[in-house]
Amino acid sequence: MASAAAPYPSGHAAVAARYDAVDEVYRETRDIRLVGFVLFLLSDCILFSAFIFAYVYLRNSAPAWPPFVDGRQLPWFDTSFAAFNSIVLFGSGVTMHFALENWKHLDKATFYRWLIATIVLGLGFLLGQAHEWTGVLHDGVTWPGSAMGASFFTLTGLHGFHVFVGVCYLTILGIQASRGVYTGSKYFGLTAGTLYWHFVDVVWVGLFFLFYIW
Amino acid sequence: MTIVLTVLSLVNAWYFLFGNIDWIMPGASHPVADRASDIDGLFKFMAVFGGGITIFVTGYVIYFAIVFRARSTDAPDALGIQIHDAPKLEFWWTALPTALLILLTGLSIVVWYKIQFGTTAPALTAEVIGHQFYFEYRYPGLKTSVFSKTEPMHLPVGVPVRILITSADVIHQFWVPEIRLKMAAVPGLVQNLNYTPLRTGTYEIACSEFCGVDHSLMQGKLVIEPVAAFNTWLDHEKKEAATASAAAVNLKAGDPAAGKALFAQKCAACHNNPPTPFDQKLVGPGLLHITDDPQHPNLVTGKPPTPEDIAEILENGFTGPIGTMPSRQANGLSEKDVANLVAYLVSLK
Amino acid sequence: MHPGTTTHDTHEVHGHIHPPPEGFVRKYVFSLDHKVIGFQYFITGMLIMLIAGSFALIMRLQLIDPQGALMSHNAYNEMFTLHGTAMVWMVLIPLVTGALGNFAMPLQIGARDVAFPWLNMASFWILPVAALILFSSMLFGGPHAGWTEYPPISLADGTAGALWCVAIFVVGISSTMTGMNFMVTVIKMRAPGMTWTRMPLFTWATFATALMNMVATVALSSATGALFLEHVFNVPFFDATRGGSAVLFEHMFWFYSHPAVYIFVIPAFGVISEVLPTFSRKPIFGYKMIAFSSMAIALLSFTVWAHHMFPSGLAPWLQLPFMILTYAIGIPTGIKMFSWLATLWGGRIHFTSAMLYALGFLITFTFGGITGIFLASVPVDLHEHGTYFVVGHFHYVVAGGAVMGFLAAIPYWYPKATGRMMSERLGQLGFWLFFIGLNGTFFPMHWLGLEGMPRRYASYVEFAKTNPDAVFWNRFETVFAFFMAASIGLLIFNAIWSLKHGKLAGINPWGARTLEWTISSPPPYYNFKKIPEVYGPPYDFGHPMPYRNTDNEIEPYPEYGKVVMPVPAAAGA
Repeated sequence: MASAAAPYPSGHAAVAARYDAVDEVYRETRDIRLVGFVLFLLSDCILFSAFIFAYVYLRNSAPAWPPFVDGRQLPWFDTSFAAFNSIVLFGSGVTMHFALENWKHLDKATFYRWLIATIVLGLGFLLGQAHEWTGVLHDGVTWPGSAMGASFFTLTGLHGFHVFVGVCYLTILGIQASRGVYTGSKYFGLTAGTLYWHFVDVVWVGLFFLFYIW
Repeated sequence: MTIVLTVLSLVNAWYFLFGNIDWIMPGASHPVADRASDIDGLFKFMAVFGGGITIFVTGYVIYFAIVFRARSTDAPDALGIQIHDAPKLEFWWTALPTALLILLTGLSIVVWYKIQFGTTAPALTAEVIGHQFYFEYRYPGLKTSVFSKTEPMHLPVGVPVRILITSADVIHQFWVPEIRLKMAAVPGLVQNLNYTPLRTGTYEIACSEFCGVDHSLMQGKLVIEPVAAFNTWLDHEKKEAATASAAAVNLKAGDPAAGKALFAQKCAACHNNPPTPFDQKLVGPGLLHITDDPQHPNLVTGKPPTPEDIAEILENGFTGPIGTMPSRQANGLSEKDVANLVAYLVSLK
Repeated sequence: MHPGTTTHDTHEVHGHIHPPPEGFVRKYVFSLDHKVIGFQYFITGMLIMLIAGSFALIMRLQLIDPQGALMSHNAYNEMFTLHGTAMVWMVLIPLVTGALGNFAMPLQIGARDVAFPWLNMASFWILPVAALILFSSMLFGGPHAGWTEYPPISLADGTAGALWCVAIFVVGISSTMTGMNFMVTVIKMRAPGMTWTRMPLFTWATFATALMNMVATVALSSATGALFLEHVFNVPFFDATRGGSAVLFEHMFWFYSHPAVYIFVIPAFGVISEVLPTFSRKPIFGYKMIAFSSMAIALLSFTVWAHHMFPSGLAPWLQLPFMILTYAIGIPTGIKMFSWLATLWGGRIHFTSAMLYALGFLITFTFGGITGIFLASVPVDLHEHGTYFVVGHFHYVVAGGAVMGFLAAIPYWYPKATGRMMSERLGQLGFWLFFIGLNGTFFPMHWLGLEGMPRRYASYVEFAKTNPDAVFWNRFETVFAFFMAASIGLLIFNAIWSLKHGKLAGINPWGARTLEWTISSPPPYYNFKKIPEVYGPPYDFGHPMPYRNTDNEIEPYPEYGKVVMPVPAAAGA
């Protein structure tokens, strides 16, 4: 989506050249933070894994699934709406990718457009999750009510919280970018934001499979 | 030095293999159950080799420290031998312990297999249910439970037994040190221990998982006695229980409304309330249409259950594949309560 | 922000140099300096150790009488819960990773600080907060479920139990952040030429520990988080009557808590690997094998957690792999042990107090490891599980392993940290007190357990009836526990006394060869005026030190203009 009108040298070689054209201090800082950020995402991944393990364990040790509460078998979650909402979230991953690419290719205006699209899609996903939660609650699946509700609300709540933090994070990045914090060579913050946003997407793939497909 | 350490290790080995280690492993010289001698064999194996390794390491640490100490005659910057590795030596001190561990793994697996799968067709199945802070025991055909607070558990000698273990509240552990085996009593889970008692006597039962304030007072006694004595005891208990409760439960007098209230209060933790069809389980099965469920007509005795059958389960409890239902005493129900509950369940036709 | 400051010498860039601290608060309270943070961890950890250690003494006093000599069962249960919890999370882990790791690791790799100094400061300040939360739970009746805090029993503790969860959750976050910080530091900030195989072994150990800290601690946070939710919002993760599972908590808990044992013992391995060659005046034997086995232990430690649960509802077929993997961990541990033994052979052994602790470690830790093999075997574990045998085993590993290593590190690095030597006479007396006390306290526990004494017993009337010797051995243990207490008291006195009266240390009092011994004692806040270059392995005694660019004649506080100080970056940039 690199704009043809961009008055800057474009192409991947130029991007790579700019990436390397930084002073020693920035390079070291960037490398250190990149490793640190990836490790942070790894530990976050384990947080989700632990609760996913809990869900799988509880589900496998239950006599019936969905479980019974007060004499009634709980309903399955509604896949169709969640599928739609997933597309919203995955779409936001795509838009974020384009945003970063445009920044790398020095096309600021397009970057902002894609970034705002990402934020809007992220908010849309959160609204969708709110809708989903209302529906699930309406079906009688509650947080303290059953092992299914406990896992569902804890995991999707944790994920929703990550999305919410991500939306705030991207907003801050947008403001920082508009204030000239980042340049064509120095944009580690944007890279980190993109990594984080993709991470949130990937986690959702797992959760979607767990709750809606399995 | 090596000779001294070898001798010490051999003394250690001799002691564990041929000495009387009853003070460390109670009953080691006269196994109380069939698995005890297997486990003691493993223990001795590890004590012989582990003790040997400990003796050698300790001995060499002390020996090297003395022999290679810096001396006052040394130059101030005297160095040790500048050696970085010795691949051959390293190979052997990796390979030998590995071989030893593989051997130990093999031996452990053999014993493990015997413990888990070695007992075929137990002749007696007893149930142990942990409570804060006592054990409850149940025997087939015995209407009332035996509580360790007042009475010991009984097992016949020479008969393969299976002990099903679960808990009514928190996690406990059922352990008789002389028998060596222990198993946790976990709420919502039935585990089992299988062995054959080999020696009569009275042994201590202890709870070995922390279970609350009076964990340290949670003990019981296990009486292992000849089969005849055991049967006499069991018959006696049965008779006593029968005379005690025969007249008491008058099922006709049950009040369905009181039963319904009681069901919500006492049963809903494990059975769906309001009752559902049998296959819709919570912890226990659903109890709707219990006397005429078309899918599960042969609930207990091969016939649709009668009110008396339901009363029997309420009285004695029930152990199924997914959990154990406590007995009347353990549930804190009176006989009047049983009658009310039966009346309620029968009314759900 | 742009770290846009320019430099004149690329060697000065390596590592972040934060601005020189000014004023008491910036220098000593909210300091970014890894050495000061190490001190803070040390002081906080020792203070909490005094509290948790006194709980242990109270427990031992209770057990001099089978009836319980001092207090109610309830109070005793609270004592052992807080003793275990505080010792594991607020004493051992902060001391061996926080204090030792923070102080020594950046110096050993030639860095000016850790990768994220601000995060490091935050990690530390979480610790006292968590400790306050934990001990404040005593005002709400105190937690009573043991340091493992298994539900359902822990759920009966109400507010106190919830506070326990908060404290452990919070201190877990601190561990995770420290782990991440140290991993990045070791991966990215080693001095030029310091390849992985030229890294000092303590740094290797810290790296392995950081990996476990980062990965495993999050699982603990999940477990305590879920338990907290069950406490406060009644969310049924662990309640069997509502579809939860009590065994699930054990899985989540031990997935962390088994690596936790290695989190505090592997840094001790690292210390031993530094102390033994230095005082034997010869290279460490089998450097690569020791470094490799640290990593092997770290990785294997994630695969053995369920050996804590053999009788607790683990499917029989699952018992086998956990047993075999647990045996497998014995192999790298054995390699380490033999390599240390071989390091002693042919040396010129100097009996400093650090070396005595290291030698004592070899003996006590070997024994702790051997009893670990006993516990790994499923059949034998079915007898030993939950008894005093387990208590004896893990105190040999923890007190005889982790604490011995830590106590070896104190006299070893004290001169570097303070510029003065500790009193050797007091230090050696302290060693003998500790070594004798440790064996006297924990050795008899093994046969008490095998005879049939379960752990966490506030009284043992019935047990003492069938095993009359139990009373004698319990009293015996109580007496020897005070030896250990005296040793710790002596250590604290020694540390304070030597601050003023110790001999001046100079740059390298031990003739050790890692990088921290090339700079002044105590090191300036930026550690290295110029980042050194490394051209050889660390333990070749008799050769010149394998470092270029070291400048021993550093002025204590040169002009700041010479060293470039980028401002710590704002979020994101």
